[in-house]
Amino acid sequence: MTAPATTRLPAAPTTLEVGDRMASDEVGPLTRTDFVRYAGAGGDLNPIHHDEEFARDAGLPSVFGMGMLHAGMLGTRLARWVGPRNIEELTVRFTGQVWPGDVLSFHGEVEEIADSVATIALRVTNQRDETVLRARANARVRL
Amino acid sequence: MIDPAIAGRELGSFRVPIDRSKLAELARAHHDDDPVWYDEAAAADAGFDTIPVPPTVTVLADHWRPGGALGPALAIGADVERLLHGEASWEYLEPITVGDELTATARVTDVAEREGKRGGTMTLVTIQTDFANQHGQLVARRRDTLIETAGAG
Repeated sequence: MTAPATTRLPAAPTTLEVGDRMASDEVGPLTRTDFVRYAGAGGDLNPIHHDEEFARDAGLPSVFGMGMLHAGMLGTRLARWVGPRNIEELTVRFTGQVWPGDVLSFHGEVEEIADSVATIALRVTNQRDETVLRARANARVRL
Repeated sequence: MIDPAIAGRELGSFRVPIDRSKLAELARAHHDDDPVWYDEAAAADAGFDTIPVPPTVTVLADHWRPGGALGPALAIGADVERLLHGEASWEYLEPITVGDELTATARVTDVAEREGKRGGTMTLVTIQTDFANQHGQLVARRRDTLIETAGAG
């Protein structure tokens, strides 16, 4: 089990400026166990994510990860940057699938700050540098 | 096939407990096994009054929703084999914490049809789920866009 707990989870709003970037982090290579662990934790028991025969019968090369798994991984990394209680909004758009063996990277950058709220653009990419998820968040910051 | 007439349909209401062991499971599934996510003493040590929750905590609703994760898709008559999850968004209105007993209330807020890339019609459905806590406060609002892709013929 990896823990990107190199920084403490902030309770209070943190100081951010336009152009600041989230600490880079990687997870993977992902395994089917990662998908099964998330199925149990999050409650998404769609067999396309854990049943290899079912996935192959549906014409896929294998099972693939739930979008909410890498959205959740991105969410906790965003929380570790800006503080979980300071996030006001988060929107994630699923742009690609995540497969066993993939290594995911998590990116975020402050685009704008107005009225003590930062607008942050976020992305999850795989080892082929394909973007599998794009996101935006608003978070309260300390000026 | 999704019938556009489902716009506005209420999808019911159910309870979602925010319990410590599910928060620990989520932390481990997210590869962020920091005890602040599930241990009161660690949370207090980090300056939190109670255990904080990750931004996607509302996924726990899938354990309690009638029909599970695919419940809403089935309720709107979607062809699950052609269904994609396009987008999810959250507004966080009040803190959610361990021990909360949330009530989730879902409804279809929008149905839109578009021309598919290879012909046919694809249907985009927005489902809004409001989460209120045991004190009656609206704590989070989640919106999901489901896409039923155009059929083969």
